[in-house]
Amino acid sequence: MTEAAVHIEPATMLVRLKIWRFNAQTGEKELRDYEIDAPEWACLLDVLDLIKDKVDGTLAYRKSCRMMICGSCGMRMDGKAVLACKERMKPIVDSGHVPVISAMGNLPIVKDLVVDMGPFWNKIKAVKPWLDPGYDEVAERERVVSQQQMNVIHKEALCIMCGCCVSECNSMESDPDFLGPAALAKGMRFVGDARDHDDIGRLNSYNEEHGIWDCTRCYFCNERCPKGVDPRDAIAKLGAESIKQGIDHDMGAKHANWFVTSAKTTGWLRETELVPKTQGVVSAIKQTKFALKLFRHGKVPLPFPPHVAEEVQESRALFDLVKQQGRDGALGIVQGERGLARIDQDAPEGSSGGWGSRDQADITPGKRPTRGKGGEA
Amino acid sequence: MEATHDVLVVGAGCAGMRAAIEAFDQGADVALLSKIHPVRSHSGAAEGGINAALGNASEDDPEKHAYDTVKGADYLGDQDAIQALCDEAPEDVYQLERWGAVFSRTEDGRIAQRPFGAAGEPRTAYAADITGHVLVHVLYEQVMKRDIPTYEEYFAWKLVIDDDRCQGVIAWDLLNGGLKTIGAKTVILATGGAGRLYVGTTNAYACTGDAMSMALRVGVPLKDMEMMQFHPTTLAPTGILITEGCRGEGAYLLNSDGDRFLERYAPNAMELASRDVISRAEQTEIDEGRGIDGNVLLDLRHLGAEKIHERLHGTRELSMTYAAVDPIHEPIPVRPGAHYHMGGVDTDLDGLTSITGLYAAGECACVSVHGANRLGGNALMETITFGRRAGRAAAEWALTHTTVSVPPSIEADSMRELGTLLDRRDGERPWAIRDELALTMHQNFGVFRREEQMTEQGRIVARLRERYERVVVDDKGDIFNNDLTQALELGFLLDLAECMIVAGLARKESRGAHARPHDYPDRNDDEFMRHTITTLDEGGRVTLDWKPVTVTKWQPQERNY
Ligand SMILES: Cc1cc2nc3c(=O)[nH]c(=O)nc-3n(C[C@H](O)[C@H](O)[C@H](O)COP(=O)(O)OP(=O)(O)OC[C@H]3O[C@@H](n4cnc5c(N)ncnc54)[C@H](O)[C@@H]3O)c2cc1C
Ligand code: SF4
Ligand code: SF4
Ligand code: FES
Repeated sequence: MTEAAVHIEPATMLVRLKIWRFNAQTGEKELRDYEIDAPEWACLLDVLDLIKDKVDGTLAYRKSCRMMICGSCGMRMDGKAVLACKERMKPIVDSGHVPVISAMGNLPIVKDLVVDMGPFWNKIKAVKPWLDPGYDEVAERERVVSQQQMNVIHKEALCIMCGCCVSECNSMESDPDFLGPAALAKGMRFVGDARDHDDIGRLNSYNEEHGIWDCTRCYFCNERCPKGVDPRDAIAKLGAESIKQGIDHDMGAKHANWFVTSAKTTGWLRETELVPKTQGVVSAIKQTKFALKLFRHGKVPLPFPPHVAEEVQESRALFDLVKQQGRDGALGIVQGERGLARIDQDAPEGSSGGWGSRDQADITPGKRPTRGKGGEA
Repeated sequence: MEATHDVLVVGAGCAGMRAAIEAFDQGADVALLSKIHPVRSHSGAAEGGINAALGNASEDDPEKHAYDTVKGADYLGDQDAIQALCDEAPEDVYQLERWGAVFSRTEDGRIAQRPFGAAGEPRTAYAADITGHVLVHVLYEQVMKRDIPTYEEYFAWKLVIDDDRCQGVIAWDLLNGGLKTIGAKTVILATGGAGRLYVGTTNAYACTGDAMSMALRVGVPLKDMEMMQFHPTTLAPTGILITEGCRGEGAYLLNSDGDRFLERYAPNAMELASRDVISRAEQTEIDEGRGIDGNVLLDLRHLGAEKIHERLHGTRELSMTYAAVDPIHEPIPVRPGAHYHMGGVDTDLDGLTSITGLYAAGECACVSVHGANRLGGNALMETITFGRRAGRAAAEWALTHTTVSVPPSIEADSMRELGTLLDRRDGERPWAIRDELALTMHQNFGVFRREEQMTEQGRIVARLRERYERVVVDDKGDIFNNDLTQALELGFLLDLAECMIVAGLARKESRGAHARPHDYPDRNDDEFMRHTITTLDEGGRVTLDWKPVTVTKWQPQERNY
């Protein structure tokens, strides 16, 4: 048989789980134990599938892609939001730990592990989540933007809207109206997009109550995001940009400290990255256009050479910082921000985070999740 | 009836959302209906890119794109449809960019393009290795901007046909429970592929071919259903896709001897040969004992850590999470897996099916631009271009016609049918039938096909269908009862398997994805340069017919890479 080799019986393991079941119709809530044989390669999602097939067809959870891209399968394992399709079970089984699976936090439960994502999407919709080119632009072809400019929003564009960050958001627990990490990261995706022409409007709205300044900087969102979006960093960038543009009407004194650090570290936004120096004419023109716009708003001085030179100094310093973090380019600069934040949080030496760091399931049973260095398997 | 619309789009992946946006912009009252939230659609999993002759990386033009597509399709594609796709693709891609798609860029700030299998020019526009994700999100942004009403987590089950017209859809409301009827002057089907027919597939759990079967059941013909593409690089054991972008960036395929075995199968194009060619080469290596545990190796190491980080980050993440292999240091074990259904609902160039008011677009449709073998990057392009065309045509029709009627008897019949299923207490649950179907399809209707295996598979499917008649659903509740919808999905899959087998047996030649090296090793243009058409007859049996291929200017030639 030609494909026989494809179906070599895999080694199996006995997986034990506890699942919080919830029936909204009856209001019943119960923590139930499950035990099932699963192949050693199984992720949490595969185990739930086996339970649904062979033990209890009424178990409800969402799934689709089973490859960390659709954002369906957010849920909690041992109280921390995860994507079920990302969590390998083998290490957990080996450690003898019996994880508890429950629905995500900060969202109403519909049934078992299914939450109502309505409030989540309403907040996304509240940040005006589409590109506003500002005028009826009929470009002949595509707009011309440099890769460096696009890199500014690379992380934000990775968001799969899974809700893991919202589930763990500290501020949202006390203020359900807080826009929250996912929506604000989506906001940054447009504010940071050189093609968007409503930064001022956006920043004004994100500066209102329940906006960026209501974030408590707990960093849980960064920690739990399965895609490396780092929503807290996005919020910091929005904050820094707001301050630069003089939009800080809701900023209390309690934020002043934070502001100093952030403005220093995220000063790269827009004026940034030595753009006029290192890139072609086109992007320099784009940059200038943007600067002119700000100038019209009376927010910044015209960024012609002397100003640029100043920025270069600042950016140089940043660049060095970034180098220390082991990455370069705009992404690195983002990490520079986090680097500082981490020092601030007393993070262990050398923990770099970022793209590479989320390549592995980061659950160590019984411990707070850690993020290893990028590149280590 | 719950509500009525001018246009109801069933499915909210790239094809469905593009169709809805277009219908909206034409002034129609349009709604989307999807069994999962739009951004969860499997279009989001597309990694590699989208083909359009933008000419940003080389001298390119739509004519070259069309020729590559015709040839890649092994001359089973309709050349008028291919021409339309290739001519309109560039403007459609620019439109996506203007809406805000985060494409990767060239040095001079234009949309970057990379080489892809069987393409004569670097023509695949991309966003790192998350192209589909970027497109799904930009389209959903535009859906939100237009505030297009969306029936989220509604599972479409039946089409309402009355007065020889399609007038709506009957769907199960997952969140609240209950059958809901949505009336519409026109319905566009866009439910994507059916990879779940196979154990090793790159497709999501949601890819169960629902609309193909729904259309079949109301008498609409399905075209070229035997044409299931196997992608050469899927990860063991789950079938998760490793993008062709890897080979585009220069990765090697190696056998257990460490040889780049494609030297013997496609000496010129090597790793960039067409998918069917590479899948067969791999399967031959594996069958002849030069595989490694049923796999071959995809080697990225020589690309270097930096390039892998920058361009193939997602691939590395997948490979590390699902195979515990870091491609910077080790080659990735891969094998062919079911990937893309070239066949589907037979439509014209505007997505119109044989029934007035019923349209289809995207992977569930067969226009046909992919013929017997789809080129990487052409599927996303098809969803956009033909999604747009279907959206426009459906809106135009709807805006010139007024009435919608859904006879109460249709709703009552559906209620009764569903009631029978839900009330059944004793019997088998669906999962074993589902698993057996997927395993046997893989064994008997896979990369290589033989007469006796296909015949045997026909018998197996018939037996599975008997079992399915007595299937029970565990969950009897209303709220989020996807135990019920998964059972209904299995019913769809069984229909499609039957069509595939009938069509596969009839095509006594080897063409594109339909490879019969043991009994009919050659392409036979005299007899089989035509589409298979499968329909259900009065008695519910699958019948076979043929339809000519539209040839405009490219006469069939031998296909070698
Ligand atoms: C892993 C992978 C990678 C790929 N990479 C590429 C690539 O790089 N380039 C390329 O061109 N192509 C690629 N393809 C192919 C391409 O992505 C798909 O063919 C295309 O995205 C299909 O889009 P669609 O809109 O037709 O369907 P989908 O995106 O699958 O959407 C289907 C929609 O229908 C809905 N639906 C399904 N059934 C029902 C029902 N019963 N009721 C209600 N709603 C329903 C779903 O909820 C979903 O919204 C790839 C495919 C896969 C699997
Ligand atoms: S850092 Fe801010 S946004 Fe993120 S989880 Fe904490 S409070 Fe919420
Ligand atoms: S920011 Fe991360 S955790 Fe939050 S929704 Fe997006 S991908 Fe999920
Ligand atoms: S199933 Fe899609 S992210 Fe987990």
